[in-house]
Amino acid sequence: MATLDAAGLTTRELNVRLKGFAASGAEEITILNPQARHNIAVGIFDDCKIKINGSVGYYAASLLDGPEVAIDGNAGWALGDNMMSGKINLTKDAGASVGSTMQGGELFVGGNAGARAGISMKGGTLIVGGNSGFLTGFMMQKGRIIVCGDAGEAVGDSMYEGTIYVGGEIASLGSDAKTEEISEDEVIAVLAALGNHGITKRYTFKKIVSAKRLYHYDSLERLEKTII
Amino acid sequence: MCGVGGILYKKIGSTGKAPIGENLVKMLESMTHRGKDSSGFTIVGEEIDGDLVIRVWTTTADQAAHVLSRAQETVQKSGGVVVTHGIWGQFLRLTANYEGDIPALAEALLNTEGVALHSIGETSEVIKDTGTPADMDSIHSMSQLKGTHGIGHVRMATESLVDVNHAHPFWAYPFTDVTVVHNGQLTNYHKLKRIYEDQGHRFQTGNDSELIAVYLADKLANGETLDYALRSSLGDLDGTFTYLVSTKYGLGYAKDQWSAKPLVTMETDDIIAIASEEIALRGVFNQEIDRMEPQNSEVMTWLL
Repeated sequence: MATLDAAGLTTRELNVRLKGFAASGAEEITILNPQARHNIAVGIFDDCKIKINGSVGYYAASLLDGPEVAIDGNAGWALGDNMMSGKINLTKDAGASVGSTMQGGELFVGGNAGARAGISMKGGTLIVGGNSGFLTGFMMQKGRIIVCGDAGEAVGDSMYEGTIYVGGEIASLGSDAKTEEISEDEVIAVLAALGNHGITKRYTFKKIVSAKRLYHYDSLERLEKTII
Repeated sequence: MCGVGGILYKKIGSTGKAPIGENLVKMLESMTHRGKDSSGFTIVGEEIDGDLVIRVWTTTADQAAHVLSRAQETVQKSGGVVVTHGIWGQFLRLTANYEGDIPALAEALLNTEGVALHSIGETSEVIKDTGTPADMDSIHSMSQLKGTHGIGHVRMATESLVDVNHAHPFWAYPFTDVTVVHNGQLTNYHKLKRIYEDQGHRFQTGNDSELIAVYLADKLANGETLDYALRSSLGDLDGTFTYLVSTKYGLGYAKDQWSAKPLVTMETDDIIAIASEEIALRGVFNQEIDRMEPQNSEVMTWLL
């Protein structure tokens, strides 16, 4: 087990040392005193466990491929940005754009998420234990978002594919998003995913998918009509 | 991109001794990655020798003395007196016992050639300059200033000049003690500016953020509450914004309908602190904290 104290290191030094430990086969690396700084634990491609004792700033644990990152605190904007695989577990609140463009793996937020959670998501699972903000799943393309609490306005706005499950109230659906019946298999899968994080409450989830009306233009421009 | 920050000590009373300057400098210095063009601060609740504190900038250092005499003349005409004054370089600060109306004083000062009026306050003053908060502090020593609350800004210019007068905070001319710091861009700036100019409001710069100060001043002058003024701004201002406002009585923020610009807030029994990023709050509170991220179209005010 290795320990890195962020207090005496620049962000570049911290990330270089962290990558060095991960590449040399360290199983668990602990980061102390992150002090809500940006760009901590970015671009780690080796399987290992990274524990961050405290809050992190923007783009924390982004561009991951493999590791399991546990953060005890809050995160700023774009936690887990473009994650390919691995796990992120955040105990408190995440800022806006959590899990932006993530392609695989699992990202768990114990508290609330800010605006645009899972924006342009391309795979994997994003779980929010609390509430999520404005434009949850905006332009989502694949994957799964599970929100245990309430979701803010415009849920699933302009989503292409993928599924959003909301356990609480939905402030409003976004453009081209619709609710759909949830199957028993899906309920079991969602509750199992939550069970892995110790959440045993039996939420009644609402399922939101793309209505796919934005896939095609449903009205023609004046000039186009004359051509037809 | 810009960084905004604000702090209010809840238990300090209306005239305070809290280290507002020191804390705001720490907060904003830790966000210089959000902007290094210029910095600025409003410190509210200072103990002031006189009824008013006035902050002026002049285009040349020589002009400062001339502006001072013009100010003394105007104040004396009203039956008042300039109590203290200080000149360093192009900056002039004076306190006065003044009997006349504020617009007349502001007009008299602004109509002196080469003058920018940064603030007139009963309990607050605006200190702004180019450079980072730490650079500024070595010249202006605002970290020494004590009060009850205040706001600050670091600027990365997008829409207008980089100079001392286009730095935030913007004072809501000629409405004492109302100042604004803004992160974002207003897209209906020119349209609203024309409307307010037609109504007789005066703009000192070409910066879109100044419009917010004028907008709020207009609402408050018409007897609206700060909370109402902030709420109505959500619909009246187009573009992206998270802005903070400070008045004699408290602090507030408004966040646009897109939630485009960041803000986090934290509240303890004693202190309210708000900033673009948590890292700025950690500049003041060294321990792990619980903070809240406001959502879209959200407004909040705290009064002393």
